[in-house]
Order: sequence, then C-alpha cells, then structure tokens
Amino acid sequence: MMCRFVWWPRIVAKAGLLGLFFVLSLALQAQDDGFKAVPILTGSTAYFTRVTAGQYQDAPSVSPLLLLPLGDKWLIEAKGSYSDTFSKNAQGDYNGTISYGMAYGQIDYIANRYMTLVAGRFTTPFNIYGERLAPNWIRALQPNPLTSPVTSGSALGGMVRGGVPATDSVNLTYALYFSSNNTHHLLATDRSTGGRIGFFLPHQRLEIGASFQQVLQADRPHSSGIFFEWQSDRAPVTVRSEYARSSGTKGSGYWIESVYRLNQISALRRLELVGRGQQFFAASNLSAATIKKLGALGKDTNEGDFGMNYYLRSDIRASASYGRQFVLGRNANLWTIGMTYRFLMPMLPQGGAR
Amino acid sequence: MKIRFVLMAFLVAGAMSLGLVANASNGGSKDASKDTPAAASAAGADQSTDNQTAAQKENMHLEGERRFRSNCARCHAAPPKFAPRMMATILRHMRVRAAITDQDMHLILRYMTE
Repeated sequence: MMCRFVWWPRIVAKAGLLGLFFVLSLALQAQDDGFKAVPILTGSTAYFTRVTAGQYQDAPSVSPLLLLPLGDKWLIEAKGSYSDTFSKNAQGDYNGTISYGMAYGQIDYIANRYMTLVAGRFTTPFNIYGERLAPNWIRALQPNPLTSPVTSGSALGGMVRGGVPATDSVNLTYALYFSSNNTHHLLATDRSTGGRIGFFLPHQRLEIGASFQQVLQADRPHSSGIFFEWQSDRAPVTVRSEYARSSGTKGSGYWIESVYRLNQISALRRLELVGRGQQFFAASNLSAATIKKLGALGKDTNEGDFGMNYYLRSDIRASASYGRQFVLGRNANLWTIGMTYRFLMPMLPQGGAR
Repeated sequence: MKIRFVLMAFLVAGAMSLGLVANASNGGSKDASKDTPAAASAAGADQSTDNQTAAQKENMHLEGERRFRSNCARCHAAPPKFAPRMMATILRHMRVRAAITDQDMHLILRYMTE
C-alpha cells in the first residue's frame, strides 16, 4: 500500500514529462498555409503614473503571453500579469502593493472553419472591451470603463465560438460559454453561462452585437449588454461604445469612445487623440452596507476623459490622459501618464525561417 | 538504475518521434497538393496565364489589405510584418480572440507574409 503511494507521483511525473515532449514536438511542426507556426512569447510591459483625486500612484507592470501552436488545429494560450503599485501616503512615503494573476490559460481547438472550441480559464465573452481592448498596449485610454466590473471578467470551463460569413457583406460572430465556480484567490470565477453575438459589416467597417450572462450561484443575477464599433473608411476615426446592465446590485452604465489618428498631418501622423464619455447608474434601493461593499459601483457616476497616444514605433507608445469624475459629494480629477511596450519573440531559434 | 534511465530516454525519444511523424503526415499531403499545381503551371505557362496569375495575385493582395484594415486596424495600430512562421501563430491567436473568419484569416496571413 505504501509503495503505491510512493510510486503514483513518479508515474504521473513521467507521464507528464512524456506528454510535454510529445506536445513540444507537435509544436515544432505546426502549420498554417504552409507556414509552420512557432511558439511565441509576446505581451506588454508598461509604466504609468496616476494621480487620482490627489493620490499619487506609480505602477510598473508586465503581462507576458505565451502562444503555443500544436499541429494545424490547436493553440495553447497562457497570459499572466504582474504589477507593483507604489502609492504615496500623507507623509510622502511610498507603499508598494504587488498584484499578480493569470488573465487566461486556455487550449483552443479549431474544429472547423466556423467553430473553435475553448477549454480552461478564459476571458468572459461579454461585449468587446474585456477580450479585445483591455491590453494596455491596445486600450486608447488607460482608466477602465466604469462598466467593466458589472460582469465577471473571467470564466473557467468551456466555450464554443467562431466567425461565419453569413453573406458577402455580413460576418456573424458568436461565443457561448459555461463557467464553473472557483474560489482560488488568484483564479476566482463564478458559476455562470452566457454568450455574445455580433454582426460585422466589413465594407462599412461596422460591428454591432449583444451579450448575455447568467450567474448560477448566490442571488443569480443576470447581465445583458450591447456594443458597436465603427471605423470610418474616409478618415482615421474609430467610434466604439458599450452598454451593460445587471439585474443584481451592480447597476448599469454605458461608455462611448472616439479615437482620431492624425494621419493627414505628416508631422503629427504618429499621434492619436481620444475622447470618452461615460455614465454609470447604481442599482436602486441599495442598503448603506451594500453601497460600502460595492465601492465605485455603489454610486451614480459621470465621467469624461480626454487623452492622447504617441506612437514612437508601432510597439512603443507614450500615453497621457485627463479625466473628470463626477460622483455625488466626491468629484475627482484623474491624471495618467506613462508608456507601453508590446514585445514579441519566437521561442525557437529558427522562428523566422519557413 | 541505468536500465531505467535508458528506458526513459527511449520513451522520450519515442514520444518526440511520434509527434513529428503525426505532423509530417498532416503537412505532407498539404505540401504535395500545393506543389503540384505550381509545377504544372510552370511547365505549361504562356504569357496570358502569367498575366492572369499576376492579376490574381494583385487582387489577393488588395483583398488581404482590405481585410487587414477592416479586422485588425479597428482595435490596434498596424504592426510590422513579422516572420511568416510568427504571423501564422499570431493569426491563429487572433482568429480565436477577435472571432476573425477562416477566410479572413487566410487572406490576412497571405497579405502579411508577402
């Protein structure tokens, strides 16, 4: 009996090692359109100074993302995050707070042209901000939209998703998921289900869609949302917006953002200007204790932000923004300045060769 | 102890070989189907065929650029063109993350690796 307990971990370790070698050898040979896809380490690093209602914070961060293709149809994606936020206290001293976690760790299987199966920990497919715009080298303004915490940001379970050309001028995109409850302090998720459907008109460069999420635990709130994104064909302008509403205590809100790249002026072609307006409406009939627990989600808030991004290169960007937040009895100025760098490197020495 | 080490090394080598063979069998047929029309067209090509091929390539390039602009540039600044093998991984990632259709993915990959 004793021997069995001693031997099991060794057997599992050996099997794991063999599996790893098998997977790595598949990764070496992955192919797309005749190109053998290689494992890649990418991600971003950033340094931002924020002044929120007179409170200084310096926040260096790094978010590495490992992409490991296996064969023609598989992809393992693992993204971590690490940041150290230094806050200046009343005495002028800085206190550091470290935070780290796994944004997602998922395995994707391209089942056919229209469907991809995903398993693991993934970003909840609700509207577009969380999945597409959240990385700090992509987001046009560094402060999060007020509606971000209305739904759970991550899920642990399975998802089916894909894009289908419905007609010559309309692509249908969809995502359906199920998540289990997980209470691990780094990987916490809710038991929930939901999905998103979108219609993308490539000629008009317009995407509109809707999302739904049903939490299957505690007071079982549901959330719904709509979004759109449009990019002009004639001018380098992008307009995007989201609306999200929760039936529980998390309220509702919307934001609308416009990004203008000054391409037409040669001296300023690397600069883009951003404006965003947003409103958040707290749920009604909240008790004082609930309002305290909800924090920012407990009060009606209006916010306007203006910012600019200057692309030193396509992967290095300097950003600055100013925002004014209007909350009953506690208006605040939000200043942000900093830089982002998106890195990308192959994990194999022959990464550039065919 | 020595026998165990040899056995482990053998198993590891076996697992790697299996992986390589599994993919070689997948990729082989694809490569063959790709090479055959190319060889045939090279053998029997005349001027009009060359012109047609050039026009098709130009169309594919323009279509790839259009798909790139409508899909990728909506969210982020245009990246530089990376090595083809890296682009294949990036496009597979974006296919999942941004729900890019299969057709768009292939056209964008072709455009970004030209």
